[in-house]
Amino acid sequence: MPIYIEGVALEISFADARRNLSELIFDTVRASVDDSGREMGEIDSVVLAAHDLVDGRSLSSMVTAPAAGAYLRDEIRFSDDGAAAFAAAVTRLEAGDNRRSIVAAWGRSSEHDPDAFSRALFDPYMTRPLGLDEFVLSAMRAQLCLGRDEVREAHERAVTRRRDAAGRNPRALKAGGFTSAPHFPLDTGDMPLWADITVSMVLSTEPTAIRVTGMGQSSEPYLFGDRPLRSIRSLSQAADRALTEAGTPGSAVDVAEVDGLTLIDEALGLEAVGLAPAGEGMRRLADDPRANPSGGGASGYSRPAMGLLRIAEAILQLRGQAGPVQLDGVRTALASGSSTVAGQTQTVIVLEAA
Amino acid sequence: MTGTTELITIPGNWNFDYTYFAGEAASRFFAALKESQQIMGARCPSCQRVLVPARSFCDACFKRTADWVPVGPEGTLETFTIITAAFPGLPKPPIVMAYVTLDGADTALVNLVHGLDLSDIGAAAAQLQGQPRVRAKFIDEPQGRITDLSFVLT
Amino acid sequence: MKSRMAVVGVGQTSYKRAHTELSSADMIWEAAEKALDDAGMDISAVDAIVMGVAPDALAGENGVEKTAIFGAGKPYVRVNTGGVTGSSAAFAGASYVGSGRAKVSLVISLERMGQATTSQQVFNTIFDPVYEKDFPLTTITMAALRASLLMRVYGYSERDWAEIASRNYRNALKNPLAHIHKDLSPEDILESPLLAWPIHRFEACPMSEGACALVIAGESSIGDRVPAWLQGMASTSDAYAMGDRFHRPEGTLVDLLSLRRSAERAYADAGVTDARKDIDVVELYSPFSSAEAMTYPALGFCAPEHGPRFVQEQFTDLSLPSFNPSGGPQAANPVSATAMVRIAEAALQVRGMAGERQVPGVRRAVATGQGGATQFSTVCVLGTERPD
Repeated sequence: MPIYIEGVALEISFADARRNLSELIFDTVRASVDDSGREMGEIDSVVLAAHDLVDGRSLSSMVTAPAAGAYLRDEIRFSDDGAAAFAAAVTRLEAGDNRRSIVAAWGRSSEHDPDAFSRALFDPYMTRPLGLDEFVLSAMRAQLCLGRDEVREAHERAVTRRRDAAGRNPRALKAGGFTSAPHFPLDTGDMPLWADITVSMVLSTEPTAIRVTGMGQSSEPYLFGDRPLRSIRSLSQAADRALTEAGTPGSAVDVAEVDGLTLIDEALGLEAVGLAPAGEGMRRLADDPRANPSGGGASGYSRPAMGLLRIAEAILQLRGQAGPVQLDGVRTALASGSSTVAGQTQTVIVLEAA
Repeated sequence: MTGTTELITIPGNWNFDYTYFAGEAASRFFAALKESQQIMGARCPSCQRVLVPARSFCDACFKRTADWVPVGPEGTLETFTIITAAFPGLPKPPIVMAYVTLDGADTALVNLVHGLDLSDIGAAAAQLQGQPRVRAKFIDEPQGRITDLSFVLT
Repeated sequence: MKSRMAVVGVGQTSYKRAHTELSSADMIWEAAEKALDDAGMDISAVDAIVMGVAPDALAGENGVEKTAIFGAGKPYVRVNTGGVTGSSAAFAGASYVGSGRAKVSLVISLERMGQATTSQQVFNTIFDPVYEKDFPLTTITMAALRASLLMRVYGYSERDWAEIASRNYRNALKNPLAHIHKDLSPEDILESPLLAWPIHRFEACPMSEGACALVIAGESSIGDRVPAWLQGMASTSDAYAMGDRFHRPEGTLVDLLSLRRSAERAYADAGVTDARKDIDVVELYSPFSSAEAMTYPALGFCAPEHGPRFVQEQFTDLSLPSFNPSGGPQAANPVSATAMVRIAEAALQVRGMAGERQVPGVRRAVATGQGGATQFSTVCVLGTERPD
């Protein structure tokens, strides 16, 4: 059963003291419902992605779910990436469990410490005592990838391109935000811009111009050393499943919004989804306008909202509403979202414009 | 697995710091407590409920609220409990906590109830059953926090 | 048109204060292995895995579910909805099967609070930092506020709470997995220290660790396994603030509106029209015995004003459903898993595999879930009959 996008809204801000977390969420969810042209009474499902340790309270969905429209509705909250929540909403609609769903995700970097969050992901026995965080793993990937001269040259251009795209994207964070200190060989230009993110959309089985044509998910072992280090296998598998369902090869999509914690992860992500052959991801990120035209992590980043934010940017491209970063002739889009730890689980969504 | 492997435990401690933005609505609510000893509610233009504490949206109607109106200072005590066991990090017992619907409000507000004789818990409980009337009482120097007020039986 | 599916495998660790000999991954694997063995399946038969883990702070491991991915290469997602986590995770796994994207889902929930030394403080952080954290709002005082209101509005007595609790403890004696194995009488319970009037210590639930897993199979994958058909599943979320729930026309604080709504939808799907007659076993998520009383009218067992009478009827009227044959959360409350444990126990009852705690002739069982301050409610109806 086909699933369609009826409404979308997103906001990237930082430390707006006029609004508490619930108010920030309400504004974006309300905007997405307004965008859909539907009434609240037509919505019977709310699927959320948020994390207690980001929101700063246990069972944070007690107070945030009503702000996302959950009052007397069938609501569920995933403490997982926003694209995984999107996937769950798709299964609910396909199963006939619900007719129309809000999907929302958020994370407010101005309220929590993203580095502390990341360190706590590591088990207390083998890895936390070493002071690991996800950037360490990203840096190790970078060390493997940046070994070749041509990759390093492409890398410099990719950093510039990403910064420029974020500068031109009207939705990107323009003031405020912060970056974590980079671990060698990562550089400031590789790092995500920590920001306050809220994103929301409305999905249903009623036809609109934007259709979900493929969906895939996969996972990898917990310990980084158990995974292939030069590639993101879970993302390859997820993309494979989504693209096969959509009947499109990765190289043929008109836009790819690929989530990665750092620029390195984004480059490897392009290889994983098939937009670039192995070893060519960095060059693509530097040269291919289809790759993360939104500016990716440089536009603003907060777990666990990113997969849904990537989907939202892809939708805007399909609708022709991306503004200064709009590409021409976008009919097929791919978006991905990655979870902790260091992209251990991945969700890929393929969408088409009618 | 058998044998005499020593089971290891590792002590740990998480310290997560947060900065919670109360937002303009809560800040305005607190300012009213501090500056005019007024408890404010906000009306939803759709269901017409006066929501206390005043807030910027009604979650039932999913609409932004409109006017702000003062409520109380008297009200009806809906339900209560008397805390008798000590909990780490919280004030010493016995403590009376209650939900009170202030006059003019459609929602109830939680706070402490002072001025009761708590030497006989059962008797105090009997006194608090039956939805007694209460009044909001402010501390001498309000700080702009919810603890500026508490309730006393009228 | 909803597709048909059933629970064909159940796995549980035992529930106790701390599993000192097991890592978090070990606990997840134990429950999962038991469920797969029970289902006669290998992990390769599973198409999607849904994890349920509630507050990370109780485990002290952020994303603890990530440590135990086995059968990597499958969709693997995590749900956190507090007390209803276990049932939300089960329903999410059911949605994967219902959508056709999975023929079989494996759902697992883990509670690791044995690693917490300050769990009450963690629970306290569920409340609003702006308006509520200065008050002694805890899971216990929240329940006490409701219990006090139930006494005023419907005439319950402290004795009623004690009798419910006593029944739960007595049932748990037959459940080898339960945390608490103590035959406590209503007098024992009333004599236990008062925590927050009117709640006594033995009316509150223990802090338990454990893991629970279910294998959910679509109709075409059941084969000759013994199914507990999922006849109805529903979840409803209410407003957050308890204070918002006193004066609304939809239902007051103790009307447990979210549970009533979920029951209505799940019963409609399951074809339940008379709860007293149609249901044989109820596994209730109520961490406090007084909270159980709120569920009876919401689940259609009695009118609200007849609640105290219904408590007494349970002890004398054998035609009524059996409540919490497992002992319920009073005897074991591994928070992230508790709502899934209710479904697991209901499934075991329907499949005739509940051992010493088996109720004879069970055709239909209901499992409920409760999260937040009775904000989130789930109802799951399982039965021997394949849905139409």
